[in-house]
Parts: sequence; C-alpha cells; structure tokens
Amino acid sequence: MLKVLIIDDDDIVRLVQGKLLQNCKVTKEPIKFKRAFEAVEYLNSASTEHHYLLMLDINMPIMNGWEFLDEIEKMSIKENVYVLMVSSSIDYNDKEKAKKYNKIINFIEKPITAKNCEQLKELPIFKPFFPQPN
Amino acid sequence: MTERGEVLNILVIEDHIGDYILIEDYLGEEHLQINLTRATTFQEAKGKLVNTHNYKVILLDLSLPDVENNETLVKNMVSLSKNIPIIVLTGFSNKEFGVRTLSLGISDYLLKDELSAPQLAKSIYYSIERKNIDFKLNESERKYKALFDFSPYPMWVLDKHTLDFLKVNDAAIKLYGYSTNEFLCMNVRDLWVAGIREEIQRTWKENYHEKFNTSVKHLKKDGSIIHVEILSNPIDFDGREARVTQIKDITGQMEAEQALKASEKRFKALVQDASDLIMIMDFSGALSYVSPSSSQLMGISDSDMIKHNFFHYIHKNDVESVKEYLLKLKDNKRIQIPSYRIKSSDNKWRYIETIVTNLNDDPSINGLVANSRDITEFIKQEKKLIHSLKRYDIVAKATSDTITDYDVVNDKMYYNEGIESVFGYSKNDIENTGVWWNERLHPEDRERVRSFSEDVRNAKSRNVQIEYRFRCADGSYKYVLDRSYLITDEKTNTIRIIGAMQDITEIQNYIQTIEDHNSRLKDIAWTQSHVVRAPLARIMGLVDLIQSYPDVDEQSQLLEHINTSAKELDDIIRNITRKTEDVTLNPR
Repeated sequence: MLKVLIIDDDDIVRLVQGKLLQNCKVTKEPIKFKRAFEAVEYLNSASTEHHYLLMLDINMPIMNGWEFLDEIEKMSIKENVYVLMVSSSIDYNDKEKAKKYNKIINFIEKPITAKNCEQLKELPIFKPFFPQPN
Repeated sequence: MTERGEVLNILVIEDHIGDYILIEDYLGEEHLQINLTRATTFQEAKGKLVNTHNYKVILLDLSLPDVENNETLVKNMVSLSKNIPIIVLTGFSNKEFGVRTLSLGISDYLLKDELSAPQLAKSIYYSIERKNIDFKLNESERKYKALFDFSPYPMWVLDKHTLDFLKVNDAAIKLYGYSTNEFLCMNVRDLWVAGIREEIQRTWKENYHEKFNTSVKHLKKDGSIIHVEILSNPIDFDGREARVTQIKDITGQMEAEQALKASEKRFKALVQDASDLIMIMDFSGALSYVSPSSSQLMGISDSDMIKHNFFHYIHKNDVESVKEYLLKLKDNKRIQIPSYRIKSSDNKWRYIETIVTNLNDDPSINGLVANSRDITEFIKQEKKLIHSLKRYDIVAKATSDTITDYDVVNDKMYYNEGIESVFGYSKNDIENTGVWWNERLHPEDRERVRSFSEDVRNAKSRNVQIEYRFRCADGSYKYVLDRSYLITDEKTNTIRIIGAMQDITEIQNYIQTIEDHNSRLKDIAWTQSHVVRAPLARIMGLVDLIQSYPDVDEQSQLLEHINTSAKELDDIIRNITRKTEDVTLNPR
C-alpha cells in the first residue's frame, strides 16, 4: 500500500496537511515527522512491501530537505520512495537543484490544496493505489 | 762696313813679284792705310789663314806653283777663307774659268791685263760690302729658322697645294706626339677630326692664296682630340709654294670656358628657376633685378615687378619693420627678415621671409641681394597648430582629469594641474620619473598594472584603459580610470604615452553603495518569499481546510491557529518595514 509521510518542522503545517490528506482520501493515517532525521530512521526500517509518498519541506533546521534527499539515495528502499517537494516559496535555485534528484515528482508551493490532492491521485504512478469507486 | 779711312788688311796670294808690286801700287793710290800680306804659295796662304788674322779681303792669283788644278785651289780657298771675300785675279786664258769661280763662292774676278787702281779698289770695296750683306742675310735666316724651330707654339710648313708636311718644329712634335720623320710622311689632313674635315677643307680652299685663321679640332698620335687655333700664311719655302702654320692649343682654354659656361648656366638656372624670389635692390627699395620666379610666387612677371619700388608690395603694417631690418645691413653683411606680407596679383597676401645680403661692394652686383621664400602655407599650418595647442591647453585645464605625458625614452613624466587639484601633490612634491608614479599605485594594483602595460606593448594597441588606485599626497587612495594613448616610432616602439587619469572614486563609492543596497534589498526579498510566505501559507491552508470541510472537528483550534499565524505574519511585516527603512536611512 501507499504510505504518506509528512516531513515539516511547522506544527500547523503538519496538522493542516494531515487533515487535508485524510479528507481527500489520499491516506487514512499520514505519518508525520517534525525532524527529517526521524523520517530517515523510519525509512531505514521500513518494509519494501510498501510504497512511500513523502511530502517534504525544504527549509528545516538540523537537516534540510536536500540533505534528507541525499540520505534517501543511500537507502535500499529508495526505489519505493516518491517525493513531493513542498515549500512556502520556490525559487529558481531550488528548481535547478531538484533536477539532480529523480525521486522528486513535483514541486508544490504551500499551502497544499484539495485540488493538489486530486491531481496527485491521478498521476499514473499513484493511480493503482486509488481504485475508482465503481 | 769698311770705311776708306780704316786700316785695310789684305792677303795677296801671288807668286809673281811684278804682279804683286803692281797690285800694291794700285792699292796705294786708293787707300791711305793699307796693310798687305803676301803669300807666294797655297801652303803659305793656308798657314796664314789657319792662324789668327784680320784679313778683310783675299786677292788670289790662280797660277800658283804648288797647285795644279785651279778648281781645287778655288774650293780650298773658299773653305779656308770662311766669310772673307776672295777676288780672283786671272789672265785672259782663264777668263772662262774666272766666270765659273763665281758659282764656287768667289766674290769677283778681275783680268790682270785690264787691272786698274779704281777697278781693283771698287771690286775690293763691293766684295767686302757684299760679304757683309750676305752675312747679315745668313744671320737673319738663321734667326728666323731658330724662331721657327724653337718657337713655343707648334709650327709647320705645308706644301701649298698638297698640304704635305715639309717641316715641323719641336713644339709641334711635342704636342702631337709624331716624330719629325713621321710628320714628313704625313699630310695635314691626317690630323683633321672626322666631323670637321669638310669645313676646314672649305676654309682652306676659300683662302687658298691668303692668310687665314680658324679654330679646329686635331687628332694627336695617341688618339686624343685637341682644340687648336691655327694661323696660316702662304710663303715661299726654298722656292716652293708653301704655307706656314702656327698652332695654338686652346683645349684647356676651351674646357675652362665650357666649365665657366656650365657654371654660369647652373647659377642662372638656380636663380631663374628656383622657387625662391631673388631681387637686387638698394636701400630705398628700388629694384634693379627680379628673378622670373616672381610670377610663380606673386603672380607678377619680373618685368612688371621691377617697375615699382619693392616697398610698394609690402603690407602697410609690415613695411616699417622691413625697412628697419634693411637698415641693419649698414652694419651687417647679412640679415634675415622674418615673416611679412606682400600683395600678390590677385590682391591676396602672401607671407614671405627674406634673407638680404649687402653686396654693394661687389661691382658686379652693386646692391642688396634679397632671397625670399614663400612661407604662407607654413604660417597657416603654424596658426592651426597654435590654435590646436591653445585648445589642447584649454581642454587640459578644463578637464577634471589629470593629464599625464610620459616620455618613455627619457623616463620623464609630466602632469597638468590635475596632479595637484585631484591628488594634492604640489609642484615640489613631484618627481618627473616613472618610478615616482609607480610608487603611488596601490600595492595590490601594482602587479596588475605592470603586467597590463606589458601586454599593451606586446599587443601594439594604441588606446588603452585600466582602473587602479592611486595614492594622494595625504596618503588616501583614489580610484582612477586611466585612459592612455600610446605614441610609437616607425619601429612601433612606444616612445610616448599620453594619459588621462579620471578620478572615479565617487563613482566607485556610489557603485559600492548601490551594491550594498542591492544586497540588503535581496535580503528583504528573500525574507519576503521565505519568511512571509510561511505564516501566510499556513493561514491559507487553515482557511482552505475550514472552507472545504465545514464539518471538520476542532474548528476553534484551527481558528486559534489562524490567529497565531496572522500575528506572526504581522511581526514579520513590521520587521521588513523596519529593515527597509534602515537601508534608505543608513547607507553603508
């Protein structure tokens, strides 16, 4: 199944994103991390049976979004990981940097909206995880 | 000439005593003072004649005991007598021979049978006189011969009709190089140079019987050509019709004349064809000569120009100064009158300068020789140059730049006022060397400027531009934009560098300020995008959540979150405002 991880140092953002993902039926239980290294620990012991969608903030203390991505590259589970960069502002430098990471499937400028969630579900790689009602 | 009163020495050769006495008697009648010497034989006579004697005449009887042949006797006697006249006394039987003796050199012959005192006296007298005349004639001929032979002028005698050489003198031999024998086998035509043969032939024919002179060219034996003047007279030469010709070698004279002519021509050309105007005048300006170049220089022909006084042509503002200069010639041989104006034919003013030489003492000139040169173009250029220099000076003064002029070869650096007004160096502070300038470069810039100069010289570019810092007199540095122009010699070596040092300190400071502003504004922009958007995004997310899902739990908690975020946003915006004010109020 598809597990959704929210990695953001902002408490309110985690709360809002979690509620939205639940309401949009992207996931029943979003897994939230205030610090990126906590998410690293989680993924290191995560099962390869699952796929993981990461809602990743860029600007965070201790380990920022880019450093976190470098860590994922070292993991055995990396094939099962998809990353959605979520930032309050995205500049040209960030976009250039992102080209180096094929894990990144998209950039989203905060806040994430219901519309973002619907588009997400329509992406070919995620479609299998969201069966149509009929 | 023998006077009758003089003592007359006579040798009488007579063996017959009677005849001798008779002769003595006859002579005694005519001559008061007479001194007879008698010889009876030829041998005796010979002895007397060989010794010193004073005989004026010899009376010779042909029948002598010691001589058989009369003719031999006469010949011997003639040779012995030298120039003493011999009178032969003979009998009738020998009359025929007596006549013949005349051709053998005997002065007279007398028949003994017809002898009388007056006849003897007369014969003696005539014989002596004739001998004297003969002697004089011989002497004269000898002198003439010497005149011919030893004349310093080459001379020759030609056959009047054939023009063969009959006689040549030493001077001719010396001049022409032919020996006497060679000459005597030649014809005078052999000397004639090919080109003028017909002309001489004609002159000769026209004057066949006359004296003539002409100048011709002759060939010498060595093939060289000489110019000669000849004077030729018809003469009788030993009974032959001839011409005597005197030659005067004028080759040297001709060459000298030609050299003189060439020199004259050259000087004439120098004066007449030169672009300089040459005039001869007196102190009052009256012209006595104007060279033809006047038409070139002034558009007035020399013949027209000479009609007026020279001062007439001079600009009225210049004429007094010209006159003053001329007066200096009273004490100086030569003076130079600097530029003054003369009016040309088209009423335009030409600038000329003149060198005047006082040749009043030279009788062939007798005046002041003025040599004038048209310097109008030069003056025009000079005026332009002065104008341009003035302009340059004004620009150099007006510009706020410091103008530098570096003489590379002599390592001399010159500055305009800028070095003082911009950098604060007084005249006493400045050393005019490249080192002094180099020392004032900022240490961090020195190496860069040095390698740049090297590159510039190698690249052979002329206009160069570089920025550096230059130390002021007070020790502070100013930013300088140096624009230089390199002047090169024909080998493209840099010999001079003209530069303008522009003080760009203010500009540099301004740029620095703008860059500071920029970076602070960038900070603000970043803050805006990253910091401002964080709470804003939260608020937007919360609002979206409440709107999309009105039945969501914990609505009051979400509203509280909105409130917190709004306050946070408010703080951030206040902070930005404060920072922005900082940037504008406190430029760094």
